[in-house]
Amino acid sequence: MDKILRNKKAIFIFIAPAFLMFVVILVIPIFQMVYYSFCDYAALTPPKFTGLANYKKLLFKDATFRIALKNSIFFMIFSAISQQVVGLMLAVFLTNIPRGRNVFKNIYYLPCVLSSAALGLLWAFMFNPKIGLNQFLAKFGIKGPMWLMESKGFIVLPMWVIAFVALWQYVGQNMMLYMAQITGISRDVYEAAYIDGASKVKAFRYITMPLVKPMIVTSLSLNCIGSLKFFDLVYNMTQGGPNHRTEVLATQLYAEGFDYFKYGYASAISVILLILCLVVTLLVKKVIKVETYEA
Amino acid sequence: MGEKITVKKHSKKLSPVVIAVYVILVILAVIYIAPLLWMLSVSLKDNAELMAAPFAFPKAMQLANYAEAWTLGKLGKALLNSALVCGVTLFISMFFGAMAAFAIGRMRWKFAEGMHTFFLIGMMVPVHCILIPLFVRFAKLGMTNSRIGLMLPYITFSLPMTIFLLTGFFKSMPGELFEAAAIDGCGIYRCFFRIALPLCRTGFFVSGLMTFINNWNELLLAMVFISDSEKKTLPVTLTYFVGPYATNYVQMFAAIIIAIAPTVMVYCLFSNQIVEGLTTGAVKG
Repeated sequence: MDKILRNKKAIFIFIAPAFLMFVVILVIPIFQMVYYSFCDYAALTPPKFTGLANYKKLLFKDATFRIALKNSIFFMIFSAISQQVVGLMLAVFLTNIPRGRNVFKNIYYLPCVLSSAALGLLWAFMFNPKIGLNQFLAKFGIKGPMWLMESKGFIVLPMWVIAFVALWQYVGQNMMLYMAQITGISRDVYEAAYIDGASKVKAFRYITMPLVKPMIVTSLSLNCIGSLKFFDLVYNMTQGGPNHRTEVLATQLYAEGFDYFKYGYASAISVILLILCLVVTLLVKKVIKVETYEA
Repeated sequence: MGEKITVKKHSKKLSPVVIAVYVILVILAVIYIAPLLWMLSVSLKDNAELMAAPFAFPKAMQLANYAEAWTLGKLGKALLNSALVCGVTLFISMFFGAMAAFAIGRMRWKFAEGMHTFFLIGMMVPVHCILIPLFVRFAKLGMTNSRIGLMLPYITFSLPMTIFLLTGFFKSMPGELFEAAAIDGCGIYRCFFRIALPLCRTGFFVSGLMTFINNWNELLLAMVFISDSEKKTLPVTLTYFVGPYATNYVQMFAAIIIAIAPTVMVYCLFSNQIVEGLTTGAVKG
């Protein structure tokens, strides 16, 4: 038995296709991207090495990039906090109600599996200044704001709108993760606590919270990476407008790379994006120390 | 999915707190369902009716919207392209993923753990990072604007999750099964195809659903790699309706309904398996 499981040739055959695809489609392009980011590279001319020029321009001269970075980080922080809080809240609610748990769960999770390109169009229409929500508000004599056109403020209104739509779409995922973790906690633990006179609030604070902590690491890093990569909703709701005020890293990367064909410059943006993703993942793992409990 | 945590089993009457929770949950459910139903109602109106009374029920069913959206947006073609790209991606990524997962989870070699980590790191890399180098390379090879060029990155980005889920499944299989087979003279390949693969059906189903849904909704890669309208996938086709000058709202909504209908159907049929895929994937990590 042991011999056939140590069959070197078989291991090689099994692992080779996936490994090769990974190297060719993922690993090599990443190195190429890093190289391009140091080059002046427009689509038609071959890449010319220019050192840190792209990064200098990006960090010190490019106002759009500053907006994109600000928006992406705002978006990440907003999603990280709101999705954890709302997701955990829903999970606690749903695990404590006597009936209807599955119905609510399936409803809240539904938008997660739908195309955000499609949902973005729906919400763009909903927040159209003349039709949709504002027409509804007008019935009550309220004049709604220009949801997706407003360009004042540090974080512009459209960014908040998009962030809330993203919360609406993706909170179901966190809810599911937390529900799985909470239903995994043995009922005996709670019953023992209640016999000892613990209130529901205390049970939540001292039993549920510590036991779902490992899941916070997972869902927080998923959230952060997901929101840094965010593209679909922004592209279909505002396309970065008005006047680049809702640009995020991914939309700017797309515009620089495939509208203006500045490959080198766009590569520099994606290097920064990749670094942000790695740093955030490591930070989440470092900051939230996980003790494991026998549940 | 485990047992319920209900504490006040003895009391039949609902406490005010529980009622308050139900009220919140119902309001949220309305916020979730209402936009989708509203979209359905709008897709059955005509443009004038939409402007006059957007929240009223449609007066007459304008099924013509669907027909027009179908031809105008080339949705039939797009649906076929999406199905083809996602189907092939699904098949290949499952097969390659299962082979790699079997080698990592079942076979004995020094670098099994390292290989596992290598694939897992792939989960963290955003697809944006490979966009430009891959596009440049594919352009040189004449592979942009081809469905194969789109499938390759899709397969690659589907592999980490598949390998991750399936490795768990293969590890949890009882070792005696394989020992018995080995004694009966089964080689490693037969072990894989005749024992491991059939036993892993749940794993395939779960990770397959996730893979399919993710690729079905993918927009960025498809937008960059495909510009020929004959080869566009569904999410890209929808961007035809994006922008300040797109005013044909009713058809846009009909197109959106057509685009999300397959996922809604898959979700209604298999929601439990999808949930299982999501949670086992994350819990084990």
